Formats: sequence, structure tokens, C-alpha cells
Amino acid sequence: MVMTLKQLNFSRNGKRVLDSISGELRSGKIIALLGPNGAGKSTLIQAMAGLLSCAGAVSLKGQEIEHYCAETLAQNLAYLPQHSQLQFPLTVEEILSLATLPFQLTRLEQRQQINALIKTWGIEALAQKDFRQLSGGEQQRCHIARTFLQLQNMKPTNSGRGIWLLDEPSSSLDLEHQQQLQRVCLQAAKEGHCVVIVLHDLNQALRLADEVWLLKEGKLVAQGPTKEVITESLISDVFNVQAKKIIDGDDCIFIYNSH
Amino acid sequence: MIKKLLVSPFGWVIGLLLSLTICIAALFLGSIDAHSLLNSDIGHNILWNIRMPRVLLAFVVGASLSLAGVMIQSNVRNPLADPSLIGVSAGAALGAALIIVAAELLQVNAQYYIPLAAFVGGVLATVAVLKLGRSDLPGGMALLILAGIAINVVAASLIGLLTYLATDSALRHITFWSLGSLASANYFWVVLCSIALLIVCMWLPRQHRKLDAILLGQAEANTMGVDVKRLQKHSIVLVALLAALAVSACGIIGFIGLVTPHIGRMLVGASHRYLLPLTFILGGTLLVIADGIARTIIAPAELPIGIVTALLGAPVFIWLLVREGRRLQW
Repeated sequence: MVMTLKQLNFSRNGKRVLDSISGELRSGKIIALLGPNGAGKSTLIQAMAGLLSCAGAVSLKGQEIEHYCAETLAQNLAYLPQHSQLQFPLTVEEILSLATLPFQLTRLEQRQQINALIKTWGIEALAQKDFRQLSGGEQQRCHIARTFLQLQNMKPTNSGRGIWLLDEPSSSLDLEHQQQLQRVCLQAAKEGHCVVIVLHDLNQALRLADEVWLLKEGKLVAQGPTKEVITESLISDVFNVQAKKIIDGDDCIFIYNSH
Repeated sequence: MIKKLLVSPFGWVIGLLLSLTICIAALFLGSIDAHSLLNSDIGHNILWNIRMPRVLLAFVVGASLSLAGVMIQSNVRNPLADPSLIGVSAGAALGAALIIVAAELLQVNAQYYIPLAAFVGGVLATVAVLKLGRSDLPGGMALLILAGIAINVVAASLIGLLTYLATDSALRHITFWSLGSLASANYFWVVLCSIALLIVCMWLPRQHRKLDAILLGQAEANTMGVDVKRLQKHSIVLVALLAALAVSACGIIGFIGLVTPHIGRMLVGASHRYLLPLTFILGGTLLVIADGIARTIIAPAELPIGIVTALLGAPVFIWLLVREGRRLQW
């Protein structure tokens, strides 16, 4: 078990945002957080990242998350927030190089890692550009690549390797880069990391996730293996959308009705 | 292209030489020509006891305020922050003014407590402005500037109140503070300000990547292993130290802490690895130039340097407001 959540409760402006949430994150698994807008997905992922002081307990590798110092925490989990705005002229390369900040690496090792990252992610053309001049999707890819590099530097321990927390990473990505994101998520899981990803596309969740946590109004309404959890009736209950399941061999896909 | 050249060793050498040349030129700028400065006792006296401390103080204070500007801008992720705009300098001036007036009333010599009072005033003003204008909230960019205006108004009105209690000599002392001048520069202040600058320069090199991380956001920095609260706390204390000593030595000098980091970012980008040393050199040199203008433009009289930096800096500030405002759509 790399992380356990026990009875998390959190209120904001008198409204329950997280309501007795419990669960376990296991190494090598991909967990999709699903739910309508305002269900508490981002808040839950912030709690996992240790950014939220809420009632209940979040324990990372057997120790309460509040007891971690920022540096050790960053050696165990990488977090991609939903929105991020930069007011200053940093280049893409300068931003990517921050991924190695929590690790003791030599200047040369850093250089090599960054160069390899830029190459494998196909962002050579962006590397020297001012981050603010990039499109939304390019900015997103750059941040995904940065957190991925941070993840790759994490060392395996008895209780698991790293945790990758992705808050709606695919929202501004084109089709090609959504596929790339899927590939790196699978690769990360294969390398022993646990990936938690907030998604809106149920079909993407079906293809990608081992496990689904379905949130509604701060409560976990369903939690379990993807194909068992996502059903036509649940979709209509939680999302208020009529869906039809189409099965094709081992795969299945949902088609939504507009009414 | 410019960036590549500037961050190369060659670029640094050229920059340093240029800065040194300007400082030496500033030493010989004034009503007495270089020949008599170097060849008479009076000349020597003027050169070493008046001009030298003045140029040194201008450089140290310029570098201090500019570094303080970078640190505060990065910590609150707001390119419009500046020690004088957000009320740090005014808080320091208020602290100093309180001691001056109290010392006059009580008939004691409190000269050495002035920097201490300025420091306390600076810290209090910084904490207040950061509490009022939390930059992580939506609209926080504008909120911080508004909070700065509020702190400036409070400090200015309290200083105004103090001037009514003050004797004539204390009054002159206080007026000197609100406009800024390097006319009373001496080695005592050069040493004191240099010590503060040295402390900051020893602290900063290990923080440059952490400051880069903060630019991305507090949550991002936290999950990249930066203890953001701690870094901000340390930064506030050091910014207040730099600003307070600068204010104690030569009054409120506005805009230098705002403009220098921006010129620096235009030249080498926002990465603190290059920005911090560049700001140091650039800020020092710019204030030496501003002081050169202040003491020669209406010679034999002298303009307060705060007026020169405000006249040069305010248009840049307005330009920044327009540009940032357009980008952020306040």
C-alpha cells in the first residue's frame, strides 16, 4: 500500500466538499477519479498531495503525510494541478529542469535527464521558448513531462514507488497527445508507480484505469474495478446522462444520448 | 541571442567592466575636475570622504533595493511588487520617524536605534501587506497593490502626524526621508548596508531554484519539494532588512526595486540563477547613474534622488501596469 486515506472530511464555506472518503492506493495501479463538476475530485487530489489540512488521516508509506517535510514528500509524489498561471518569462527547459529539484543530482545528470526528456516527448522545438507564449495544450504537455520526470527519479521502497497525481491532464490535449498521455500513464504504472488521474471521459477511464473512484457531492458513490463500476445505470444516476454500452470483444465503449 | 551572450562568462566580464567604469566616472563627476581631485589635499579629502562613500552607498543601496524587489516579486508571484510601492519602505520610514521624534522630545541621542526601528517598521508593513493582499486568491495581483496603497497611506499620515510633534531639526530629518537623498553618505552606512547585502548574497545562491519553483505557483512549488512558507518567511525578513537599512541610510528611493528586475528579466529571463546576479550589478549601477543625475542636473543645488528615480521609474511602472493588466484582464 503506498497511500491510505481514512475518513477524510473537508468543508469549504460551510459546504461539505469531502464526506468520509476512505480508500487505498496500490503500486502499479491506475486510479481514475470520476464525477460531475464540483463533486470534490480536485479537492481529494489536493488532500492526497498533502496540500489540504482536512479531518481524517492520509498516510503515505505508513507515515502520516503531515509529518513529511516538503522535500521528502516531493521524492514520493508528483502533482499536476488543474490550473496554473505563470507571470514571468521562464523557458520550457527552465521549467522542466525544476523536476530534479527534490533529488540530489549532479549538474551533468540533470542536463542528461532534461535532454532525454525533451527528446522522448518530442518538444525540441519548444525547449527554448517562453512558456507563456505556448498554447494551452503545449503548456499542459510541458507540465505533464515535468511531473513525469520527477516521478521517474523516485526510488522504489518496500511499500511502493511514487504516486503521480494528475488533475484533468487531458482537458486541453489533442487526440495524439491524449494517446501519448495514456502511454506514459501505463508506463508509469508498469514501473511500479501509482497513478491517480481525474478524468471526464468515461471511455478513456475504461481504456486506462484499473480502478475507478466515483464521486458525487463529496461522497464516494462507487469504488472498484473499472468495468464493474461504470455501468449504464450508474452513469444516468451520477451524471444525469443516458448512455449505451457497446461491447466489442474484450473492449467496451459508451455512447451518450443527448436526451 | 542577447541572453546567450549575457549569461556567458564573456558577458559577465563585459557587464562588470561597464559597471566599474560607470562607478569610476561617477567619482569624477561634479564641480571639481579630476586633476584637482587627484592633486590637492582638499581634492583627496573630497574624493575619499565625500564622493567615494556616496558612490559606494549608491551602488549598495541600488543593489539592495533591486534584490529586495526580485525577492518580493517572486515570492508573491506579482511582477508589480516593489518595496516602496507595497509599503515596506514607508513602514521603515515610519519606524525611523517615530524614533527621531521621540529622541528629540526626550532629548536623547538615538541615532543608532534608527535602523533597528526602521527594520521593525519594515517587517510589520511587509507582514501586514501580505496578509491583506494574499496573492494566491483570485484577483490577488490587484489586491496586493491595493493593500500596498493602504499601508502607504497609513504610514504617510502617521508620519504627517509626527511632523506636527517634531522640532525643526527633526522635521528636516523626516523630510529628507520621504524624498530620499545620498547627500549624507558616509562609511558607517556603507558598511552597515554592505553587511545586510552580504547576508542576503550568502543566502540567495542556494535558493535560486526554489524561487524559480515558486514562480509556477505555491502548490506546484510545495510538491516540488520547496517549503514555501519557510522560504517566504525568510524572504520577508531579508527584504525588510534590505529595505530598512536602505531607508535608514538614504530615505525612500522608489521604483528602483521595481524597474531593475524587469530590465533584468527582459535581458536574461526570469530564471533566478542569472537574474539575481544581474539584478545586483544592474541595480547598483542604475542608482549610481541616478545619483549622478541628481547631483549635477541643477548644480550647484541637488535634487533628492527619490525624485529622479520616480521621474524615470514611474513611466516604466505605468507601461507595466498597462501591459500586465492587458495580459491578466483584471
